[in-house]
Amino acid sequence: MTRLMVNIHEVWLETLMAGFMASGRSKQILFDFSDILFRHFTWVEQYLIDDGVEYDYDRSAIPIKVEKLSTILADIAFRLRQIDIQLIVCNDDALTKRITSDINYIISTLDRLEDEDISAFDLSRKLDNYELTDEATDALTLFLFEESYKEYELIMIYNYLKVHTQDYYLIRIFQILIDESFFHLRSFGQMMADMGILGVPRIIYKELYKVENITEFLRNGINEEMLAKEECRKLSEAVGSESKELSSFFDCINMQEDYHIELMKRALEHFESRDNVK
Amino acid sequence: MNFDSVLLEHMMEPKNYGELESHNSEGIGKNPDNGEKVIVFLDVKGSEPRIEDISFQAIGCMTTVTAGSIITSEAKGLTFERAQDLIAATLGILDDVPPEEVACSEMVVLALKAAMDTYMERRKDSTFPVISYKIENSCYPQNSNLSEESSND
Repeated sequence: MTRLMVNIHEVWLETLMAGFMASGRSKQILFDFSDILFRHFTWVEQYLIDDGVEYDYDRSAIPIKVEKLSTILADIAFRLRQIDIQLIVCNDDALTKRITSDINYIISTLDRLEDEDISAFDLSRKLDNYELTDEATDALTLFLFEESYKEYELIMIYNYLKVHTQDYYLIRIFQILIDESFFHLRSFGQMMADMGILGVPRIIYKELYKVENITEFLRNGINEEMLAKEECRKLSEAVGSESKELSSFFDCINMQEDYHIELMKRALEHFESRDNVK
Repeated sequence: MNFDSVLLEHMMEPKNYGELESHNSEGIGKNPDNGEKVIVFLDVKGSEPRIEDISFQAIGCMTTVTAGSIITSEAKGLTFERAQDLIAATLGILDDVPPEEVACSEMVVLALKAAMDTYMERRKDSTFPVISYKIENSCYPQNSNLSEESSND
């Protein structure tokens, strides 16, 4: 089952990346499918926990550089068929039926999506409708690489913490932070695809999510959110003279970090008062 | 950072990233200032040791990952003697770069050196622990005189 979880992890990310590459109706369909696959991932993860199986978030590199959308859709379908076969090891009939049913539907839908040329890897580093200076473009490039990984990392860390606690107050906070990071990852990933520099976030170091000291993790997390706010502010300034729209987007992300910090502070207070996670 | 196409390719798809499934040595380069670190995994073959395969993982920024991608690509296939030359040449180049811009690449190079040193030690004692080296430069210039080395992590 650990192999199954790894494979679902990989196909979830690949489908999300395909969503960034696609346009129009296909984009939304692929985003919806990636959401479903992430849920499969968390359900299989819970199955492993219930079964007392050790697992981690290691996975292989996921090649996504294609010239045609149909190429990556074919690979997603191939991976889904493999997962369907691997479900034979799952003893939870309801879960198996559900994932199999989703896989069959997803594969049949992927087969009907229109093919498109892909520009997500053309290295143009240009955003439609925005004229950025070289300096602003460089700042945005580095920010997107750093922060897209960071958001993926946060999704995985909060997910790991969430599935390892029974405390509903903490579960609620972790779920909000997961949802928020998904929005950020979607936004940054889409910009990367638009700029022709799309890349899959790298694999996460185990010690980042297999947290030994959660209060220390939360304190460090609050500091990191403060740094992220500062990066957003700097970027907003850097692009502000060329694009008010882009600047206001980064101001919005900056303000969202305030709420994340507040939630993490509440989680920290709660955790310190009730030593009941992990 | 000068974003030419080669650099962007390394950022989009870092080479040799992740734990090497089959490895017989590893080493760590770390920044004691902020907890960032790089671990290099080696699969070494031959009586004259040669880096058959190499990978790395990092807790660090994109610059560290990019440096890891480039340096491990250069190191793959080299004998230890040539890899030592690569390490010396890279550290030499870094001498001319402002300290706060050096830390990321230095961390990768020291992790490679640590992995090679671990391998050599394990030839004598197979239980020898993973060697870890601390960087001399720092992202934070106020603490840029760190050079402590430890053989146990």
